[in-house]
Amino acid sequence: MQNTDCTFICEQFTEYHENSLSSEIRAQVDTHLASCPACTEIFHKLAEVIDTLHNLPTLKASTDFTSTLLSRIETLKQETVWQKIYQSSYTRVAGYAIAAGLIVAIGINIMIDPISPMKSGLQSNFAGEQVNPNQSDESLVEVSDSSANQPADSLTLQNPTINSQSQSMQLVSGKK
Amino acid sequence: MSEKPLKTDEQLIADFQNGNENAFVELVDRYKDRLVNFVYRFLHDMTDAEDMVQETFFKVYKNKHAYREIAKFSTWIYTIAGNLARSELRKRKRRKTYTMSDLSFDDNEFTPVDTGKDTEGIVFNSYAGEEIMKAIYALPEPFKTIIILRDIQELSYEDISTILDIPMGTVKSRVNRARLKLQETLSYLKE
Repeated sequence: MQNTDCTFICEQFTEYHENSLSSEIRAQVDTHLASCPACTEIFHKLAEVIDTLHNLPTLKASTDFTSTLLSRIETLKQETVWQKIYQSSYTRVAGYAIAAGLIVAIGINIMIDPISPMKSGLQSNFAGEQVNPNQSDESLVEVSDSSANQPADSLTLQNPTINSQSQSMQLVSGKK
Repeated sequence: MSEKPLKTDEQLIADFQNGNENAFVELVDRYKDRLVNFVYRFLHDMTDAEDMVQETFFKVYKNKHAYREIAKFSTWIYTIAGNLARSELRKRKRRKTYTMSDLSFDDNEFTPVDTGKDTEGIVFNSYAGEEIMKAIYALPEPFKTIIILRDIQELSYEDISTILDIPMGTVKSRVNRARLKLQETLSYLKE
């Protein structure tokens, strides 16, 4: 391009090619092109490019395009149904109810289970029996002390087969 | 007896919004080739182009109620397809920076199919076609889109203005600049 006239003329090329310029500007472009080989060459090349673009072959989608799309959509519909079920309020309420039921069941199980955690103040011995830790130490001492004055048969009661708290208390008091 | 007149795109999408799925299939049949042709010019890969067009229709299906009859259906669907194509291009650019020499075109991907025009009048030949595709691909983004919409899809200035959301005057000046740029690029490629 040689000057500002050329810049202005080139800006009109698209509409000039499409024949949509006003008659006044069209005449201006005609006059300029008649005297400017550079702009004329640009315009001719531009017209060639436009024709080539307009005649590019039309591509087509593959023959299974629609069936592939529709099967994708079918999958989407199925997913959507499951999502609706999952998101429905009934499902959520049912989920909460099941969760609450499980918590209650676990709680009850803990309360009635024989291998439950220690209750306060009581411990299980190796046989699974509950003994009072504070009292047992004392009672053993007292049983030891008292054993010196007791007949031989009472000593048999000192063996570790003590099987209840009441028996332990009897030993402390020295009664059978 | 005259044939039943074809429904407009806008009537079809309205039918689809009211639950008629056959209307959707009719829209797919009307637009699939045009959109593949459109998206292919951005991506230069037939498989990717078909995937993008599938995605476009998928979005239309899922968001059918997003369409309001304030714009033509064609501009709406071109906008969706164009956005997806440009987004894919941006992803590609992040992955790899293409140079002109990187661009290669598989002949099978560019098989001329039913131009619908008289073959005697066609200026196109495979060499010119390949050159011009390279040149379009090398154009800066705003020019590329506008050239594809105007000179390949042959949309009106008004439709392009709606799709790109820019004034009609801007569309015209951009088309002109894009064509000049394309012509410059082609001259450079031939040297």
